[in-house]
Amino acid sequence: MNSAYLTTTTEAIDPVFMFIFGACLVLLVGITAAMVFFVVRYHRSRAPEPTSQATGNLWLEVVWIVLPTLLVLVMFYYGWAGYLALRNVPKGAMEVTATARMWSWSFAYANGRTSAKLYVPVNKPVRVELVSLDVIHGFYLPAFRVKRDVVPGMKNYAWFVATKPGSYDLFCSQYCGTGHSAMITTVEALPEAEFAAWLEQRTGKGEPPGHELLEKHGCLGCHSLDGKPGIGPTLKGIWGRSETVLSNGAERHISVDEAYLRRSLLEPNADVVKGFQPVMPPFAGVLTEAEVKAIVAYLRTGGAAAAKLDGRKLAQEKGCLACHSLDGSRGVGPTFKGLFGAKVTVQRGKTKTIVTADEGYLRESIRQPEAAVVEGFQAIMPTDPALSDDEVTALVEFIEGLR
Amino acid sequence: MTTVQPTQPSFWNDTGKTGLAAWIFSTDHKRIGLLYFYSTFGFFLVGVLLGLLLRIELMAPGRTIMGPQTYNALFTVHGVVMIFLFIIPGFQGSFGNLVMPIQIGARDVAFPRLNLFSWWLYIIGAVIIITSLFTGGGPPDTGWTFYVPFSSRTGTNVSLAVFGVFVVGFSSILTGLNFITTIHRLRAEGMTWGRLPLFVWSLYATAWVQVLATPILAITLVLVMAERLLGTGLFDPGRGGDPVMYQHLFWIYSHPAVYIMILPAMGVISDVIPVFSRKPIFGYKMIAFSSIAIAAFGSLVWGHHMFTSGMSDTAILVFSFLTFIVAIPSAIKVFNWVSTLYKGSISLDAPMLFALSFILLFSIGGLSGLILGAAATDVHVHDTHFVVGHFHYVIFGGAGFAFFAAMHYWLPKFYGRRYAEKPAIVAWALMFVGFNVMYFTMQVLGMKGMPRRYYDYLPEFATLNLVATIGSWILVAGLIVMLVNLFRGLFRGEPFVGNPWGGATLEWTTATPPPTENFEEEPVVTHGPYDFRGTGIP
Repeated sequence: MNSAYLTTTTEAIDPVFMFIFGACLVLLVGITAAMVFFVVRYHRSRAPEPTSQATGNLWLEVVWIVLPTLLVLVMFYYGWAGYLALRNVPKGAMEVTATARMWSWSFAYANGRTSAKLYVPVNKPVRVELVSLDVIHGFYLPAFRVKRDVVPGMKNYAWFVATKPGSYDLFCSQYCGTGHSAMITTVEALPEAEFAAWLEQRTGKGEPPGHELLEKHGCLGCHSLDGKPGIGPTLKGIWGRSETVLSNGAERHISVDEAYLRRSLLEPNADVVKGFQPVMPPFAGVLTEAEVKAIVAYLRTGGAAAAKLDGRKLAQEKGCLACHSLDGSRGVGPTFKGLFGAKVTVQRGKTKTIVTADEGYLRESIRQPEAAVVEGFQAIMPTDPALSDDEVTALVEFIEGLR
Repeated sequence: MTTVQPTQPSFWNDTGKTGLAAWIFSTDHKRIGLLYFYSTFGFFLVGVLLGLLLRIELMAPGRTIMGPQTYNALFTVHGVVMIFLFIIPGFQGSFGNLVMPIQIGARDVAFPRLNLFSWWLYIIGAVIIITSLFTGGGPPDTGWTFYVPFSSRTGTNVSLAVFGVFVVGFSSILTGLNFITTIHRLRAEGMTWGRLPLFVWSLYATAWVQVLATPILAITLVLVMAERLLGTGLFDPGRGGDPVMYQHLFWIYSHPAVYIMILPAMGVISDVIPVFSRKPIFGYKMIAFSSIAIAAFGSLVWGHHMFTSGMSDTAILVFSFLTFIVAIPSAIKVFNWVSTLYKGSISLDAPMLFALSFILLFSIGGLSGLILGAAATDVHVHDTHFVVGHFHYVIFGGAGFAFFAAMHYWLPKFYGRRYAEKPAIVAWALMFVGFNVMYFTMQVLGMKGMPRRYYDYLPEFATLNLVATIGSWILVAGLIVMLVNLFRGLFRGEPFVGNPWGGATLEWTTATPPPTENFEEEPVVTHGPYDFRGTGIP
């Protein structure tokens, strides 16, 4: 492949289509023409008696074994060569992680930004890591001739490059249940500058730089902001908290202050909070002084309190809106519009009851959807154990706002 | 040939049990054949009705007549019914049973009681499948492929449905075993392997696939049940399992299963074309050998269903290669059929029209299969309507039309009455046109990127979906004409006696309808199955 010119997936695949189609068309027309000609020419009205009793012809049969064999071997070769173009990701491709769940897509970019549509810059190859949270889905971009299954527990990827700005369909191609055909979104290909601007734009506006740094360095993978225990202690309310730490095997009590946070960032294993493993990598030499200051300043404000969650965005990203509409129309699940405070008939166990869709009910429905299903709907809503309490609160508040 | 003067009563009038019991407890292969025919063909009609509803739903975007959950259940049941209850048991059970023992000059199959037991297993399995639709969490909504993890999570009645398929599978294994033994042991004197009708050769190849591949489906379905009922986690990545392994296990059976569906159809075509051309089949040995080659190589190509699944590129290389290899014996058959027409004396009766259209439709299906076999092009059209179109071209246009050919060709032999020719040709023409309008359009839709199993679709696919739905109406109209004409004819039509088609195989030498033990006395075979010089046709 010429490095100055990038072959797109479409350009790699379409010639293979043309070749196989062409060959097949020639064969089909040949077979049909011969058949029709024979039927007309040797119809009993013209040929009352058969004029041959031939039972075979070795050479003829050898010819039509050898020729098709050669033809299909050529097809096989082109098919394989084209396929390799789908597997070999060009160097310097932008990485995006696509997360599929029943029945929505969410895309995460290197800087932590997430979106429900796949935004890409034009003329830059994009490598998409495919992650499934539940069943098998299929990542399908017809315009780019790209498809790959999204299999739970498996590291699949696909790549493509958009050469023209525009909006391209993205389908789920592997059947995944009720909302399968609604599990569609788009690839939005933007000119490079526009894409860069989009990527930097923060939707949860006013988020302090400290929060961004925590995302960027992957801190939040182990340290939650909402009080949930993780691999490391939560950052919620960490400022001023009393902790028992182990320093060189000796227990001591400390109160979290700037000096402690600083040391924990740069030499995390010097004082490890009791009950946790000393597994955090040291950030000395990774974080600049300014970054350390920003993080400490952010944690001083209490972390979670500063990161106000956007319920609407959350509902979209978590896939709620694939089934629950916002405009009152009937979907796979009840609409969110006017749901809060409404009286609904639900099936609880074996009994039907009428409940008010209040905060308690909504919380339960998010955590244990099958416990009380609204009449007329299927008990098919999945749960998301990764949803934090704060996120549930944000979702409930969002639904309340749609009253 | 002299006209046979029957001294024994036909199998319809033999003594013994009467009423329903004379049928459902009969060990006569002809009665069992008709039991299979009516039960499998009945399920075919159910499947057609479901397919028609699916097409009506897809007539326009958005909700037309049903919701998404109903749609998903309907396409699942359509697939399960058509595949496991019609086309897999259909050929072997109906025409295999009716015709094969007579074609080899036997009085019955090797194990007549086992034969009856196989039908009972089939019925029990079918009843279990039907029960699963109306009990528990409702009809399964997994697609006929039962892919995990979805099938282990959904609340619908998957466990019972796969158990039904499991039972039907045993019926298939036992029939295969029975036929292999019959063809090996019960051939009449002079019926050498080189004189076997090609329909028998195709049944023989099919029977081996049934015996060898079906147990793998059985164990796979048991594992799905274990996954659901016991939570074994064999396919759950969270517990060290692998969902892609399920796909391997499923397709190790289910790809060879498409050869269970198509091989007997090819056998029918190989029997019908020479008769209506009055000319020996061109390349008998090559056609017989290609049936065996298809059965053998066809068992090694399952991975082409999984090119996008994430299995290794090495596996894709190997499976794509083998897929192209298996195309060759099919191509040989097509060339040989067409060559048989050359310098013949061709009569376009209904069985012949169905057979000739089989060649065309099967070729379109087979050639579109090359696009699916090539790794590069498969990725784009995999899991789209292109695959749906391809599959229906091969299995409906192929196996289905061959089944219709067999119905017109052989059923009169067993009823002693026949259908009217003109309506049969009208019915064929309607079905041929409707079929192509419907499925060719679906292949185009797939090329444009419409995924399969989509309840709803984007506006850009609307026009073609409407066209496909209209095609389905033409097809069903033709089917209704065919059914009325055929069954009216079988019960009240013109008498059908002797050897009106001019066939040279053994079933045309015995009385119509045949007596219980098929022949007045055991036949001695002196010529090949397509040697028409000895048949004394005017």
